[in-house]
Amino acid sequence: MSKGAGVLAAFILLLAAGCGSEKKAEEGGAEKECSSAPAAMAGNPTLPAMFPTPDNVTYTGQKKTGPSSVVSGFRDGELGDAFDAYKSGFDSAGYQVTHSEKEEDDAEVNFAGGNSTGQVKMIQSCKDRTSLAITIRPQ
Amino acid sequence: MRAAATLALVLLALAAGCGGSGGGRGTITIVVDAPFSRSPYIGDTVANGVRLAADQLNAQGLSAAGKAYRIRVVRLDNALSPGRAVANTRNALRRHAVAIVTDGTGVDATWKLANQQHVPICITYQGGTGLVDPKTRPNVFRIAPTDHGLAFRLAEYMVPKRLKIALLTDDSDYGQEGKASLDDAFKTVSKSVVARITLPSNASDLAPQVLQARRSGATALLVWALPPVLAKTVVAARSAGWQVPLYATPTAEDPVLRQQLADHPSWLDGLTFASGRMTAELGSGPWSTFEAAYESAFGATFVGVKSQGKRVISPPDYAMYSYDCANLIAAAFQQASGTNAKKVLAALNQVSIHGANGDERGFNEVNHEGVVDDDVYFARFEDKIFRPVKDDPLSSTLPVINQVR
Repeated sequence: MSKGAGVLAAFILLLAAGCGSEKKAEEGGAEKECSSAPAAMAGNPTLPAMFPTPDNVTYTGQKKTGPSSVVSGFRDGELGDAFDAYKSGFDSAGYQVTHSEKEEDDAEVNFAGGNSTGQVKMIQSCKDRTSLAITIRPQ
Repeated sequence: MRAAATLALVLLALAAGCGGSGGGRGTITIVVDAPFSRSPYIGDTVANGVRLAADQLNAQGLSAAGKAYRIRVVRLDNALSPGRAVANTRNALRRHAVAIVTDGTGVDATWKLANQQHVPICITYQGGTGLVDPKTRPNVFRIAPTDHGLAFRLAEYMVPKRLKIALLTDDSDYGQEGKASLDDAFKTVSKSVVARITLPSNASDLAPQVLQARRSGATALLVWALPPVLAKTVVAARSAGWQVPLYATPTAEDPVLRQQLADHPSWLDGLTFASGRMTAELGSGPWSTFEAAYESAFGATFVGVKSQGKRVISPPDYAMYSYDCANLIAAAFQQASGTNAKKVLAALNQVSIHGANGDERGFNEVNHEGVVDDDVYFARFEDKIFRPVKDDPLSSTLPVINQVR
C-alpha cells in the first residue's frame, strides 16, 4: 500500500471511529421520560448468601442460563446512585469488588463472594430508572 | 575501525543496561517472552502490541522524576517450552527488565524467579485459572479472557440449547487447563455432557476420537485445543459427513485453522467460538483507531485465504491486550517515579488506563485480571470470516469487524 493510500485509510477509519461514538451518544437513555415500571416478580430471586440489595431495587425476574443465573430488575433513580449503592453494598456484605466501571449511560460492578462470582450490569434506561441485570456464577 | 565500532556497540549496550540510573536519557526494558518459532501468530501478536505501545510512548515522551526515558522491547522465543521460558526470565532479569509480557508459557515456573526481584509478569494469551493469584503470585497479572470466563460463558450459551455436548480437550497444557475449567463450569449441569474425550496432539488422524463422540450420542462438540488439533477435529467430523455443530475457544481465530482447512472452506462454516469482545460499550471508535495504528505499524495480518475475492485478515484483538499491558506498565513506572522494581510492582495495583478499545484497564490488590468473564462473546464463521452471533445478549450488540482488505 502506498503512503497516500495508508493515510487515506487511516482517515476513513478515524471518521468511522467518530461515527461510532456519535451512535453511542444518540442512544443515551438518561434524558428519556420513563414509561410505567415493569412488574415485580412473584417472590424473591435466589441470590448468594449476604448478597446486597440496595434500597429502591425491584426484582422482575430470574432465569437459569446453564450453570449460572441472571436476575433482572431495576432501581429507581440515576445510574450513578445505583453504581455507588452496589459498590458500598458489596463492601458492607464482605464481598470483593473485583472490577468496576462507570460510563455515561451504563456501569458494571463485578463481584466475588457468597461462593459465587458475577456482575451487576446497570443501564440508565430512562430519566429516573436504572435497569439491572445480575449474573451469578457458582464457584 | 572494526574495533572502534565494537567498542561503541559495547558502550551502547552498557548504557542501555544501566536502566534509569545516571544522567541523560534512561532506558527501560520490557521483555516479550512468547512462542515466536512454534506459534508465530501468537508470538507476533503479543510482541507487536507491546511494540506499538512502546513506539507511541517513545514518540510522545516518557518521563519519571524529571528524567526522560525510552522503552526498549526485547523479544525472546520460548518455543512453547517452560524450560525456555525459565531461561528467558533469567535473561530478562540480567537485563534489569522492568516487566515481562508473555503468552503464559512456563509461568508456573517463572513467576517465582521474577518475584524474587519484584518484576511483574503480564500474561496476554493463556487463560489458565491457576496462573494468576494475587495472594500467592503477587507479581503475575493478566489481560486476556480467562479459561474460567470462556468455560462458563460457553456453558451459559450452549446448555440452554438443550445440546448433548461432547467435551474434547487436547493433551497440551492449553487443553488440560481448559479441561479443568470446563469440568468446573459444567459440574452443576453435567447432564448436558455425554462424553469427555482427550485428543492426542501428535495424532495425525482424530477419526477415532470423533467417532467416540458420535457414538456417545453427542449433538454438539466443544473443542478446547491448539489450532492444529482443532483443525484435525473439524476434518475428522466433516470428512465423515457428520454435520455436528462445533464450538471452540479463541484458538479458532488462529490463521492456522483456516489455512489447514483451505481445501474445504465450507467445513469451517458454522463453527462458533468464544473470545474476548473487541469493542467496548463506548462504541467501535477506539478499537478502529487502534486497529488503524496497528496496521500502519505492522501491516495487516493476512490469514492466507480469500473471502468473496478479498484477502482475509486477522484482527489484532489479542495484540490489544499486550498493548494495554505495556501502557499499564508505563503508567506504573511513572507513578513509581522510576525503575525501582518494588515500587513499580506496587503501582501496578493502583494505576488504570483507558485501553485500546476504550475500556478501563487496571488491577487492584485483590484482582489481577484485566478482562472480566462477562466480556466474553461468541462469533461464528461464515465464508472464512467471523461475525458476532445474534442469539446471545452481549454478542448481538457488537458490531461486525471488517476482516477483508
